Amino acid sequence: LSLAFFALSGLDVLNALDSLSQILKEDTIQWIYKLQISLNNDGSNAKQCGFRGSTDIFFDNMDPASPFYNSHIAMTYVALNCLLILGDDLSRVDKDGLTSGLRALQLDNGCFAATLNGSEDDMRFVYCACCISTMINDWRGIDKNKAVDFILSSIGYDGGISQGPELESHAGSTFCAIASLYLMGCLDTCLADKQSEILKRWLVNRQIDGFQGRPNKLQDTCYSFWVGATLKILGLYDCIDFERQRQYLLSTQSQLTGGFAKWTDTFPDPLHSYFGICGLSLAREFDLLEIHPALNITMRAYDHLQRLS
Amino acid sequence: MTSSNIDECKSDYPASILYRHNSKWADVTPIEQDDSLTSVVRIAYSEKFKDVFDYFRAVIKSQEISERAFKLTSDAVATCPANYTVWQYRRKLLKDLKKNLFDELEMIGNFIIEEPKNYQVWYHRRVLVEWLQDATQELSFTAEVLQDDPKNFHAWQHRQWCLNVFSLWNNKDHNELAFVTDQIKEDVRNNSAWNQRYYVINNTTGFSDEILDNEIRYTWHWITKAPNNESSWNYLRGILNGRRKAYLHPNLKSDCLYLVSQEVRSSHLLAFLLDLFEEELDDVNNDIGNDYKLQLLAKAGEFCNDLSDEVDPVRRKYWKYMQRQLINKFGQCDSLKINGDPV
Repeated sequence: LSLAFFALSGLDVLNALDSLSQILKEDTIQWIYKLQISLNNDGSNAKQCGFRGSTDIFFDNMDPASPFYNSHIAMTYVALNCLLILGDDLSRVDKDGLTSGLRALQLDNGCFAATLNGSEDDMRFVYCACCISTMINDWRGIDKNKAVDFILSSIGYDGGISQGPELESHAGSTFCAIASLYLMGCLDTCLADKQSEILKRWLVNRQIDGFQGRPNKLQDTCYSFWVGATLKILGLYDCIDFERQRQYLLSTQSQLTGGFAKWTDTFPDPLHSYFGICGLSLAREFDLLEIHPALNITMRAYDHLQRLS
Repeated sequence: MTSSNIDECKSDYPASILYRHNSKWADVTPIEQDDSLTSVVRIAYSEKFKDVFDYFRAVIKSQEISERAFKLTSDAVATCPANYTVWQYRRKLLKDLKKNLFDELEMIGNFIIEEPKNYQVWYHRRVLVEWLQDATQELSFTAEVLQDDPKNFHAWQHRQWCLNVFSLWNNKDHNELAFVTDQIKEDVRNNSAWNQRYYVINNTTGFSDEILDNEIRYTWHWITKAPNNESSWNYLRGILNGRRKAYLHPNLKSDCLYLVSQEVRSSHLLAFLLDLFEEELDDVNNDIGNDYKLQLLAKAGEFCNDLSDEVDPVRRKYWKYMQRQLINKFGQCDSLKINGDPV
């Protein structure tokens, strides 16, 4: 499903979704819904509900309460993204199941795991939970206060934000944290002015030509999104050096196959291709469609979501 | 047969012997992946991949608990190390079959060395350590991984978890602060090592006055060696924040200004001074007379100009933004005026 998301959202940002036939779009929607684990009759699988990433362990007539048949929070997130991008009305999304599934994944300290029965927990999944809740417009799945506490406790001594308390600040987790606060509607109240200013400094310091993920690490195409989108949310995106970023991003493009890589003279891949064009979209370049910096879908798809509520 | 070594798994599974040709699995009906609706992302699985997972699906369906199922999970994780479900089922088998967890620890250690950025293998190791309640190998293991990649996030994260849960900070065999000091000496630009330093002190002695003085001296030593290193400046600012005001420290302001006078062109140096002056301005704003305040403001303005015009051109627009912030807070002066390109 994540590969489908990079492809679909990538085409959307390129304003090329209609290069896909209507039949293909509808088939894809069907496939995505097949990956949904909905509440069964007695609700015994409530904690498992959400979406899986593929039919890897799916078989005919399987009991939706099968042990190990658990949803994955990041797959639920990209599933909803893909459905919106394809113009689906989300009417077949089981909100009761989804929110039960989310609740089962939130820990006491406010963080989220990705899946039941054994998974790491960190800021990535807090972000997924917030996006999911935003898209279904139903916040029963998250204890917001605990989630906020977890985010604030993950702010590092350098003003950046980490995957969890006391770990090294990282642009990816910083994006996840700030986007989450934004989606929960408490960015302005949760982050003191001084904290916000130190964070902005940390973020702008990530630019070399392109952007890096941590101090003294190499620049990498995808950080043009993680850092760029965070700056966009904080209202400071226009302070970056557009020219240098554009030159770096275009230098990571493959002349042979198209697509973007993390570095120059490296093989391209779907993730970096997608985030590369997102980086350029944030900079409003090349007539790319505008993206929603927190949800990571086009504003076109977001407008569709707005019309659904 | 144990599966303590993934190479052993792989050599027991040469491409020619597929599960579907293996007589020991003749009683099991493989289940193909349901790709009936998949028009997008049709993955071209290799024959081996398909074979392993056809049988894994069958085993998950029947919930078979057996040695051969355990061996199957070895092949499945070797084929696709990122599949959560396989690792989860393997952990169930480890418990139900009462497998030797130290053998498994050795296996996962070798796996991590091959796939050091995979989340699932690190999580699996953490679970094993939890089950065993034994972290005696973890510091040397993470140190081994960090030798290959001193900034590996998973290694540092696992290390922090072990230090915390098992209180491994300081004993006759090990001192974490000494380890961190070595890492910084090895590469002063290793941001992960500086983060770990903060973590260790925060969780052991805390930043008492004496420790803080020591850390300021320590950090300043590394700043003079590498004045453009963001990590050490971030650490300096971080340890002072909320504990001590930089401008009140007996030496910091003068030491920094000395570096400037020696033409050390470091954006972090100038930014630190800018913050220092701003902090002082915050405190004196209403108290002291205008002259002193104007002096401070003039200096701050100069730093902004130097940064945006010469020392840190990448962030030119940001330093202009900082200028505007200062003006909004404290008013204008000769070096601090609203001019130049609007952002």
